[in-house]
Amino acid sequence: MAQVSIGSLSDFPEGTPTFAEADGTRLCIVRVGDTVHAICDDCPHAEASLSEGDFIAEDMAVECPLHGSAFNLESGDPDAPPATEAVQVFPVTIDGDDVLVEV
Amino acid sequence: MAGRAAAVTLRRVGYQGEIVLVGDETTPPYDRPPLSKSVIVGTADLDKVIKPALETYAEDGIDLRLGVAVTAADATARTATLSDGAEVAWDALVIATGCAPREVPIPGLDKPGVFRITRMDEALAIQAVLASGPKRLAIIGGGFIGMEAATAAVAHGHTATVIEAAPEPMARPLGLAVAEHVLRWATDRGVEVLAGVGVEEVLGDDRASGVKLANGEIIDADLVICAIGQVPRLGLAQLLGCAEEAGGVRVDASMQTSVEGVYAVGDIAAFPSKWADEDRIRIEHAAVAIGHGQTAAEHIATGEGLFEDLPSFWSDQGDITLNMVGVARPEDEIVWRGDRDLPACTAFYLRDGVLRAAMSVGDMKTLRGVRKLFAAGVSPSADQLADPDVDLAALAAAG
Repeated sequence: MAQVSIGSLSDFPEGTPTFAEADGTRLCIVRVGDTVHAICDDCPHAEASLSEGDFIAEDMAVECPLHGSAFNLESGDPDAPPATEAVQVFPVTIDGDDVLVEV
Repeated sequence: MAGRAAAVTLRRVGYQGEIVLVGDETTPPYDRPPLSKSVIVGTADLDKVIKPALETYAEDGIDLRLGVAVTAADATARTATLSDGAEVAWDALVIATGCAPREVPIPGLDKPGVFRITRMDEALAIQAVLASGPKRLAIIGGGFIGMEAATAAVAHGHTATVIEAAPEPMARPLGLAVAEHVLRWATDRGVEVLAGVGVEEVLGDDRASGVKLANGEIIDADLVICAIGQVPRLGLAQLLGCAEEAGGVRVDASMQTSVEGVYAVGDIAAFPSKWADEDRIRIEHAAVAIGHGQTAAEHIATGEGLFEDLPSFWSDQGDITLNMVGVARPEDEIVWRGDRDLPACTAFYLRDGVLRAAMSVGDMKTLRGVRKLFAAGVSPSADQLADPDVDLAALAAAG
């Protein structure tokens, strides 16, 4: 596991899923207040990019733009079909203004 | 898919016993929905469709037997005989035999150049033909599979003519008022749909060259796809003496059949659902099949587990994705929200004034609201449903 910088806090607008790549790993990044979450960008169900989906604040989840399963940012679990598998969740550290993801 | 879900879930919930997963295809278990969509046009990543990876079965201690069928089974002795002669003893048996393509008496369906899309090998055979350049497809059957194949092909530079014997394609699953828009979205994208006319025969000497319709019209084609539906494969359940209902195998909410220790999951299962009016329903869609398999596994491993999921399905039709939740009936009243010329709209299905299902294109937020309404047991008025400014999730939260 290596900590990789994916940019500064200002690169990730509040509550907006944003795509990032760390050492070849495709990530969907969501900043919520002072916390930054990183999950795998590829929907485990079909070929879709989660960073193109919406952030559902009340569920702390990112909704897949294709078929609507929403993945919890902390557990990675989907809330409803069609997805049945969780997405990988990556630990994030904030160092000053720098956002580091452990991949 | 339902069988794979059962096997994988058994280990996930801590089942320690032996697991044997038997399939009559030589391809390891895979997701079926992409067959009629990304697989035929060659955009699918097969490593994501055929899953889990083969080594996962060994790691999980699942004994995968591919290319063999169950030819005999005994519910008293609790044994099954496989087509390779092997005998398997079982404490619990999960039947996930799915559907077989419906047999139709159209002459010429056996010609080379005529394809079905029920299995991976068939979808890959279509992919091989489409890969060599733009083709003309004649697709017999205007259900979800036929329309998905047609819209996917057209989006990739082919031409497609869908021939549907019924006058209103997709009216049974979607209702007429919704089906006609789905059909229009497909024809707007270049699919030709001929409805209310049957196919008399497949033409061609050595190879299919097109189809002749009942009205005498001839549709030239480079390949013919037959997508006229499927029938549940009940043979094994019948061997075991399982009771039948609704054209399938009758199960309780734990997916157990009338024979103790025997479970039926996926397309073949006639299951109870609080979301439907009928005593038992059968649903031939992936998300339901997976849920069935998971429930059966939980019940086998722990003695608990009930299938109570809100039924849902999706259908990718080119650049459009239909997402449906609930159990719709063709006679339901339809209330629309959004723009029926797209990019986004939702059809709500009401029965006796109560919301029973919703089909949405491009509007996940509304569909999410519908799920929350169902979970909360709240049914808004038709006016509220039609008004895009009414937040359905907020109505659900208000109770």
